[in-house]
Amino acid sequence: MPYVVQSESLSKRYGDVLAVDDLTFAIEAGTITGFLGPNGAGKSTTLRMLLGLAKPTSGHATVFGCPYDQLETPALRIGAVLEATDFHPGRSGRDHLRTLSRVVALPDARVDEVLSLVELQDAAKRRVKGYSLGMRQRLGLAAALLGDPDLLVLDEPANGLDPEGVRWLRDFLRDFASGGRTVLISSHVLAEVAQTVDRVLIINHGRLVAESTLDELTARVGGVVRVQSPQLDQLAEALRREGIATTRSNDHSLLAQGTTRERVGDVAHAAGVAVHELVTEGSSLEEVFLDLTSEGASQ
Amino acid sequence: MNQLRAELLKIRSTRTTIGLLVGLIALALLFTILTCTLSPMPQLLTEQDQTSLLSFGSIAGVFAALAGIMLFTSEYRFGTIWPTSLFNPNRVHLFATKITAGVFSGLVFGVIGEGLVFSIGMMILKIRGVPIVMTGANVTELIVGAIVGTALWGAIGVAVGAIVPNQVGAVISLLAWGFVVENLVFGFLPKFGRFLPVHASDSMMGPIEDKLLPGNAGTVIVVAWALVLAMAGVALLKRRDVS
Repeated sequence: MPYVVQSESLSKRYGDVLAVDDLTFAIEAGTITGFLGPNGAGKSTTLRMLLGLAKPTSGHATVFGCPYDQLETPALRIGAVLEATDFHPGRSGRDHLRTLSRVVALPDARVDEVLSLVELQDAAKRRVKGYSLGMRQRLGLAAALLGDPDLLVLDEPANGLDPEGVRWLRDFLRDFASGGRTVLISSHVLAEVAQTVDRVLIINHGRLVAESTLDELTARVGGVVRVQSPQLDQLAEALRREGIATTRSNDHSLLAQGTTRERVGDVAHAAGVAVHELVTEGSSLEEVFLDLTSEGASQ
Repeated sequence: MNQLRAELLKIRSTRTTIGLLVGLIALALLFTILTCTLSPMPQLLTEQDQTSLLSFGSIAGVFAALAGIMLFTSEYRFGTIWPTSLFNPNRVHLFATKITAGVFSGLVFGVIGEGLVFSIGMMILKIRGVPIVMTGANVTELIVGAIVGTALWGAIGVAVGAIVPNQVGAVISLLAWGFVVENLVFGFLPKFGRFLPVHASDSMMGPIEDKLLPGNAGTVIVVAWALVLAMAGVALLKRRDVS
C-alpha cells in the first residue's frame, strides 16, 4: 500500500520549546486518519510542516513522496483547511475562492461547483464577515476541494460546529474517502472523530504516543471484548489455544481480555463457532485517550 | 500570469483599495484647488513654481505604498496567507507576483493622482491668467516621473509589507519614515537626505526643489531602494514560517 503522507524524525523547536519531537509516522492511501492530541500537543505545527508552511528543525515530511513545496501544483493533489478564520472579512465567499482558483487556472464554474458541494451557493456573494462559524468551516472546505484533491488535511474542522454540522462533516468525509481518497483530520477531542476515522495517531508533548486502529487502541490498554455464542465452551477453548484469556460473564457471554473484536471473530470463525454478539468493552476510548495524553504521560 | 490575475482580483474584491483611491482623489482635489486658487500670483510665475505646484500628484505614492503594504499585511492579518501559500508554495514566485501587482496598482494610483492634479491645476492657473512657462519637456518629466515614481512606491510598499507583516506596524513605519524621518534628515543634511527614497522620487518630477538630485539619478536611486527592500523582503519571506 503506497504511503500518501510520511513523516520521518520530524522535529520543530521554537526557542526553548520543542513543539514536535522526533515524530515518525506514515499514512496509507484510502484511509481516514485521526491526528489526535490535547491543545498544544504539536498537531497544528506538524500539519504546517507537512504542508510546507513551517520548516522542520530536523527530520523531513513528504506528501505523495515529495516535500509539499516541490510538488507541481500541489493544490490539485492536496486540499487543506488550517483555520476557520483564514478569510478576508470584506471579500465575498465566491471571490475568496476565485482568488485561489485563478492561481491554478481553474474556471469559475469549478468555484460554483464546490460552493454547491458544501451547500454555500446561496451565500456565495455575501461578504465573509456575515458568515457563521459553520459557514466559514464549509467555505474553508470548499477552498480545499477546489483542485479535486486526493488528500484532505483538516485541522480541527469540527471546532465550533453544532451537532448537525459535525454530522454533515462526518458524512462528507466518509463520502470523500469512499472513492479511495485519503483524509488526515486533527482534533483534540477523540469523540469528534471516533465515528469517522479508520485509525488514529495520538501525540502528546510533540511525541507520538499511539498509532493504531481504534479497536487496537482499546485492546492495548486493557480492552475487553464481550462475545455471545451458543457454543461458549468451544469458543473459550479456541481462544485459550490462541493465548487469549477469557472469563464467563453472567449473561452467558464470554469476556475476552486484551484483544480486539477482529481477533475474536477470526478465532471463532476458524473454530467453526457461531457468534451472536461481539462488542468491545472495558476502558472507553475517551478514557484511553485521556490516559495517553494526560499531563506527564509522555514526558 | 494566473497568479497575477489572482493578486489583482484580491485588490479589486475588497473595499480597501477603493477607499484608498477615494482618499487620494479627495486629497488631490482639495490641495490642488486650494493652492492653485489661493497662491499669490508672484509665487506662480517661474518654471520651478509651476512644476512644484503641479507635482502634488506624487502624493499618490503614499497611497500606492499603503496599497502595496496591504497586499502582504492583509494576508497575515486575516490569515489568508495560509491558503495563498498552499496554492502558491514557491515564495519567490509569490513575492514577485505581489511586487508586480503592487507596481500595477501604483500605476493606476499615479495616473489618477497626477492626472487630476495636473489637469485641474492647469485649468485653474489658466483661468487665473497665469502665464504657463513650463515647457513640453517639463510637463513630460513631471507626469512620467510622478506616475513611474508612484508605481515604484507600490513595489516599495509590497516589500515593506513583506518585511513588517504586522499591518499597523508597517503603515506607521512607512508614514513615520516618509513624513517625519526623511524630512528631518533632508532638512538638516540635504546632501544625504536627497538620496533617501521620498526625496529621490520627488526629483524624478523635475526641478521642484534646488537641493534634489537630477531626475535620472533620482530614478536610479528609487529603483535601487525598491530592489534593496525587495531583496530583504523576499529573504525574510523565504526564511520565516507562515504563521
